[in-house]
Order: sequence, then C-alpha cells, then structure tokens
Amino acid sequence: MIGFLTYRIALTVPLLLGAALLIFLAGHYAPGDPAQVLLGDHYTPAAAAHMRHELGLDRPLAVQFVAYVVHAAAFDFGVSYVNPARHVRDIVRQTLPTSVRLAALAVLLATLLGVTLGASAAVFPRSPADRLIQIGVIAGLSVPSFVTAALLVLLFALRWRLLPVAGWGTPQAYVLPVIVLAVAPLAYITRISRASVRQVMTEDYVRTARSKGLRTRAVLLRHVLRNAALPIVTTVGMAFGYAITGAFVVEVVFNIPGMARVAVDAILQRDYAVIQTAVLVYTTLFVAINLAVDLSYAVLNPRVRF
Amino acid sequence: MLRALGRDWPAACAAAFLLLLVLAALAGSRLTGFTYDHQDLDHAFSGPGTGRWWLGTDQYGRDLLTRILYGGRVSLAVGVAAVAAESVLGVAWGTVAGFYGGRLDSVLMRIVDLLIAFPSLLLAVLVTGIFGPSLVNIVLALTMTAWPGMARTIRSEVVALRERDYVEAARALGASPARMLLRHLVPNVVHLLAARATLDVSALILTEATLSFIGIGVQPPRPSWGLMISESFQSLQSHPYLVIVPAAVLSGTVLSFNLLGEAIAEWVDPKLRRRTA
Repeated sequence: MIGFLTYRIALTVPLLLGAALLIFLAGHYAPGDPAQVLLGDHYTPAAAAHMRHELGLDRPLAVQFVAYVVHAAAFDFGVSYVNPARHVRDIVRQTLPTSVRLAALAVLLATLLGVTLGASAAVFPRSPADRLIQIGVIAGLSVPSFVTAALLVLLFALRWRLLPVAGWGTPQAYVLPVIVLAVAPLAYITRISRASVRQVMTEDYVRTARSKGLRTRAVLLRHVLRNAALPIVTTVGMAFGYAITGAFVVEVVFNIPGMARVAVDAILQRDYAVIQTAVLVYTTLFVAINLAVDLSYAVLNPRVRF
Repeated sequence: MLRALGRDWPAACAAAFLLLLVLAALAGSRLTGFTYDHQDLDHAFSGPGTGRWWLGTDQYGRDLLTRILYGGRVSLAVGVAAVAAESVLGVAWGTVAGFYGGRLDSVLMRIVDLLIAFPSLLLAVLVTGIFGPSLVNIVLALTMTAWPGMARTIRSEVVALRERDYVEAARALGASPARMLLRHLVPNVVHLLAARATLDVSALILTEATLSFIGIGVQPPRPSWGLMISESFQSLQSHPYLVIVPAAVLSGTVLSFNLLGEAIAEWVDPKLRRRTA
C-alpha cells in the first residue's frame, strides 16, 4: 500500500515537469519580444539587448527551462508584462482562493445532487423520473454554460429580480455562478452514478441481501452505494476539470474576481507571464486533484493496490 | 444503419436537423440574400419576422439568419476539420502503440497521459491565447485537445484486437507488420472511431463556441455562434432574441451530434457482441 502510494505520487513529478515544459515552450515561442514589451517607449536596440541579457533570454534553452522550473517551485513567476509593477505571484495569491471556493462549491453541489439523482434514476428504472433525469443529463451536456448563464440571468436576475446580475461577496451573488458552474459536472456525475448503481444492482449480493429480508434502504446504503462509489469517485475528479474549464466562462459572465477572469484579461492583453502562470497553476491543481482521486480509489478498492 | 435510426427517433431527428443545417449553411447568402457583414444601421434591432429579415437584425443591422448560417459554416468547418485531424493522429498513434506494445507503447502512452493532464480548454487557451486566434490556430488548438483521448480509446481496442485469430493467421501467412496494421487492425477500429469522432465533433464545437465567447476564438466581423452570444449579452434584457436564437441553434447542433454519436455507439456495440457470441 505504501509502495503504491509512493509510486503514484512519484508519477506526478514527471507529469508536472512535462506540463511545465509545454507551457515554457509556448511562452518561449510566443510572438513578440518581451524586452520590447517591458521597455515600451524607451526601446533602443542596445537597451533591448541589455534587457534580454538581464532577463536571461540569451542563455541556452535548457538552462532557461531549468531556471523557469526552479523559480516556479519557489513561487516566483516574474512580473506582469502589462503592469510590471505587479508580481504575478501576488495576482495569483489574490485571485486563486476565489476561484477555488467557487469551483469547490460547484463540485460539492454537483456531487451531492448528482449522486442522489443518479441513484434515484437507477432504483426506479424506466419511470417518468428516470426519463426526465436522462433527458436532463443530455441537455446538461449539450447546452453550453454561457447559455445556461444567460437563461438563468434573464429569469432570476432581470425578470424576477431575485438575485444579482453579477458580482461577488454577498451570499446571493454566489447562487447563480455556482449553479451555472455545477451544471456540466452535475450531468456527468448523474450519468455515471446512474450507470454504476444500475450495474451494481444486478449483482448477486444485492439479490441475496434483498432476499434476506433487508429493507431496500438498508440494501442501498450498505451494499449498493459502497460498491458503486468507485467510478463515481473518479468522475468527481473529472468534474473538477469541468469546473475549472467552466470557470473561464462563469467568472467572465458574472464578473467574479477569480483567476480565470484574470487569465482571460491577460489573454486579451497579451500578458504572457500571467497566461503561462495561470495555465501552470490550474494544471497543477488538476493533477493534484486527480492524484487525490487515484489515492482514494486505492483506499476504497483493495484490489487496486499493488 | 438507417434501420437503427428508424427505431431511435431522437437520433433520427438529430440527423435530419444536422442535414438541414449543413445544407442551409452551405447555401448561406444565396438563401437569404444578405451577406453576414452588411450593416443597415437604420434598421438595427428589428425583431424577428419584421420586414425582409426573417429572424431580425442585430445591433449593427446585420441579418441574424445570415449570420447564424455563416456561423454554422465556421463552427461546422472548424469542428469537422479538427476532428478529422485528431482522428488521423489519434488512430495512427493508438494503433502503433497498441500493436507494438512494450517500450514503444509505454513511451507513446506517457506522452498521451501528459496531454490528458491538461483540462481541455486550458490547452486551447494556451495555443490561441499565445499564438493568436486565427482559424488555423483554433483548429490546431482543438486538435491538440482531442487527439489524446482518441489515441487512448483506439489503443485499448487494438490491444484487445491483436490477440484475435485473424491477426495470428495473417502473421502466420507472412504478412508484414504494415500490412497487418493497415488491412486488419485499422478497419476494425473504424466503428469505434465513427462513434467517438461524432461525439468529439459536439465537444469541439462547444469548445470553439466557448473560446469565441471569451474572445479568443473566432474574431469579428466573422460570425460564430459563441461570438454572437457574447456580442449580444448586454442587450439580453432589451432584445433577448439576439441571444436566444444563436444559443438555441448552438445547443441544438451540439445536442444532435451527441444523440447521433450515442446512437452510433450503441449500433456498434451490439454488433460486436453478436459477432463474438
């Protein structure tokens, strides 16, 4: 078990390094000259050459990459290209907690609601509720998040004035963004829960438990859910991925001061330092969550440990 | 296949809708008589059904229906191109990895694992955000997002297929590896490819719409459904039809590809089961 844990954790290091390499290369081959951007109006070829030397851009590529990784590990991501007074590290520190809070709430909502809906659909197959849930799943997967956002804003904020149109801070402001962000993960978790519970319910031990005279509820809780949990846990990891990508839209639409919104602004302003760091941070988060999911899978399923 | 569609009516509706959409998108201006960037500021914001504009006009007086159709051209073209590219790459990668196994397989799959570690939109954002949102870059970004998943799926299938009798028979008859790959393995993953590719089209159209909505996808004045929605977002309260129409068409298209893809996947699966039973 410890062996498996160390193996799995050790696997993430090359993964992160590989991701860092990709991001570093993208930044290196980006159009534009950082020296020119940072010098702005004071650009002369001599000053640019000097600036490039200062930034370390004339060193061999491998050395630059190692420097990039070492700096990143120390949380030194350089300064913003657009606003050189701001350290990217500070931007991340100020905006990441908001994004994480939003994503966590969305995934929590999606998991609780999704497992309930999926299990209910599986326990009453082909019922009207089951059909409705199936349709909901397909709709949730097909309708893009900005469309659901538009719909909900139109109804709840503009027409009925129950909730604010945008913003962050008051509890009411949390409601619509969390709901919109939760839709895609909810659809996936519901679908997997339904499939998993359906599959487990056909197993022999469920029939045995039922024929022993156990009430359906006891059967569900003690046998079915515990065994159906495995694929659902994996899907929760995927759900975080959807929450992360969905955040780009939700934070822009609802004007939430999170890291995804900062990343989008950086893209529109060609602020490569911020873009690279945002992608790196999000990817690291994603890898960490997948690691947690894999480890919990090993805890839940004794057969998996090598 | 048509018989399978006949039994599954949502999928049949989906296929019909897509056919209609493709034909209308190809017809484009010839159908409506407007170009997508022709502005008529005297008649901006006309509602649907008023005057010559079947679906109304947007804030610059451009005909909404024409822009929807051209947006359809862009979304479909980008989606299909990206899926074609990722299919070729993914099938080639997965087949080689699955067939040869061993260290080559390990190396190839490690690279795939690395790319799958990125949440899909993030890779696309990295490419278009840094290298610019040209149509080529968008297709490139979408291809990069999708091919690792395809490679993984195809590889699993090939690993299962290479133990089959006909592969062993071919090897015994002296077939070269290339011949075995091309003549035996690839044709037998085509069904999986078809199902997966259709579902990927819907996912990539969605990703492209999201990129365009954020502003790093298709650039104005070229229309894209996601871009049209973001441009009209401020008029949501006064002129909701400007958001609702592209949103409905976008959702309908993605939904149709999803339904079609699932129908193909189901059609393919029992066929397999019947063959090995």
